[in-house]
Amino acid sequence: MISVFLAQLVKERRNPLLIIIFMAASIGVTLIFTDGTQAPTSISIFSEEDNAQAIEEKWEPLLNEENNLKFITTDPAEAREDVQEGRSDAAVKLFEDDYQLIKTSNLPTVPYVEQHVRKVFEKEAYIQAAVEQAEDPDGLRTDITTKLDDPPLKMEVVSTTGDELSSYDMATQLMFAFTLLVAMFIIGFRVNNIMKDKVYGLWDRMILSPVSKTGMYAAYIAYACFIGFVQTLSVILIFKYVLNYDIGERLDLLIIIIAFFTFSMVSVATLLTGIIKKPEQFYAVYPSVIPIIPLISGAYMMPGTINNRVLIFIGDLFPLSHAMDAILSVVMHDGTWSDITQPLILMILIGVIAMGIGINLVERRSN
Amino acid sequence: MIETIQLSKAFKGKTVVEDVDLYLDKGESVGLLGPNGAGKSTTISMISSLLKPTSGDVKLHGKSMISNPSDLRKVLGVVPQEIALYQELTAYENLKFFGRIYRVPKDQLELRIQETLELVGLKDRQKDIIKTFSGGMKRRINIASALLHNPSILILDEPTVGIDPQSRNYILEMIRQLNENSQTTVLYTSHYMEEVEQLCNRVYIMDHGKVIASGTHSELLSILSNEDTMRVQLNQIHDNFINAIQNIDVVRQVEESGDGIKIIAQKSANIISTLVRIADQENIKILNFQMENPSLEDVFLHLTGRTLRD
Repeated sequence: MISVFLAQLVKERRNPLLIIIFMAASIGVTLIFTDGTQAPTSISIFSEEDNAQAIEEKWEPLLNEENNLKFITTDPAEAREDVQEGRSDAAVKLFEDDYQLIKTSNLPTVPYVEQHVRKVFEKEAYIQAAVEQAEDPDGLRTDITTKLDDPPLKMEVVSTTGDELSSYDMATQLMFAFTLLVAMFIIGFRVNNIMKDKVYGLWDRMILSPVSKTGMYAAYIAYACFIGFVQTLSVILIFKYVLNYDIGERLDLLIIIIAFFTFSMVSVATLLTGIIKKPEQFYAVYPSVIPIIPLISGAYMMPGTINNRVLIFIGDLFPLSHAMDAILSVVMHDGTWSDITQPLILMILIGVIAMGIGINLVERRSN
Repeated sequence: MIETIQLSKAFKGKTVVEDVDLYLDKGESVGLLGPNGAGKSTTISMISSLLKPTSGDVKLHGKSMISNPSDLRKVLGVVPQEIALYQELTAYENLKFFGRIYRVPKDQLELRIQETLELVGLKDRQKDIIKTFSGGMKRRINIASALLHNPSILILDEPTVGIDPQSRNYILEMIRQLNENSQTTVLYTSHYMEEVEQLCNRVYIMDHGKVIASGTHSELLSILSNEDTMRVQLNQIHDNFINAIQNIDVVRQVEESGDGIKIIAQKSANIISTLVRIADQENIKILNFQMENPSLEDVFLHLTGRTLRD
């Protein structure tokens, strides 16, 4: 078994380009979609009403009060062009008491922007409704604003451990989503080595040797787990220590989650290997299927965005959604062992079932 | 030493190997000759325990190897038709890998690798990556990988497919030496009649999944003892001409061969005058006429009505 594992490792060492390209791609894509090293995403705002300047001056400070998005007043034509040509994910057209989101795609930042803008407009609508009835509207507005800034009763939301809640960070979520997506590719291609070696006769040669079939499968699977794990961990460490992404304090828990995810994903890839007949077909089918999994699992969207039960069910069949749950719990909510136990168990369960069926299918085809 | 008894294999109801009986004695070099699709590879997959037969048995020293082939695998070296090597690894690394999985003792492994590389004539290229090798060199390493554990039975499945004549001769000479010097039992499958003639003491001829003839070279040729083989060189060939020759009652087989035809006819039958007459009628000029000793190719043609490469 060790010899088979080492042979795979030497092959990789001799031709490491694929791994390097994939690692660079996951870092590059994360940086592109999160706009650099967690710098706030710029969103153009503009108004085309008669009193455009007044509307812009009213909403710009309100929109920029919180959040790591930066809203900048821009010329309407320029804002539209930026969105059309993909330089900007979205722009906001402002009205007196309403807004219109301008977008050409459903990139992960779009629902995030929409959610924030809606929250700001709703808050302002509540204040507006209250001050309209008042004798001294300006006085009441100032009073409400002062009270909101320094309320007499303050409700503090804390986590179950008593710590302050961390704020939600889309950039970190996307970083993990892209890293795990790339890991899924690497894992699949390495599991497919079983099929390749079968086609080229290496598998038969090994069967004739004293190495047991269990040992052969164990070697290939262990290698796919190893390479997937090393690749994922390396990328995450680069983000943490080189690009200064905040991934929380519990690196130990993240390592455990990555290990469970890797095993589970290797099993899913083994299952697909069992279903697909030829290694060439695998190369065609696998890259078509894998990018859909993060979309269904909601890995690119804020938690809770997907509420279609069918999609949630399908997403839960893949380890990615459970891995993302566990990771977000650890990174953004300071989750502990007890918080990640359920996702870990689900990943193991998927892993065991998919591996069992996958190997069975591969063996059945061989016979 | 090793034998198959009524070995059969069916895939999805279609029989691809039927009642094949083979026997190989220690130190023998036996050829399994047949065209593509004759069932040779399936037969050797069953002999080498890679494929379970639908019926029949494989015996080593009289003991069945179907349910527990571990004893057979220990003494077996199999050279598959594919280049079953890691293309990204060097020749040395490939041999080391196969030596390790075949449990060649650590203290002997290095020596065995060097001996094997010497045997296949690639000692000076051992540090080169396989994918940089020519087809012939890859084939030689493919064979070397099956020799590291000193097998007493060597099964080769068309080991010279797609290589140049020089590499082919090298491989054939190497196998001949292994057979003669180390008393390695060789089962050699091929659809190249010349290779089998050159290398093997006995030959099994397969077609459509069945053994249709077997024996030593001379025993097989004696099948044609009642026939003469003639090669006729012509300035042109017509189907009408071939059909007319075929219709001569003493002619057994006619087939196109290079720039002429090959005729297998009843021994001592004088067909020359008839041949000349038909050629005149068809406006064909006979350039040369030659009687030939029959070959295994002719035996195959006689038995099946087609050539090995059809």
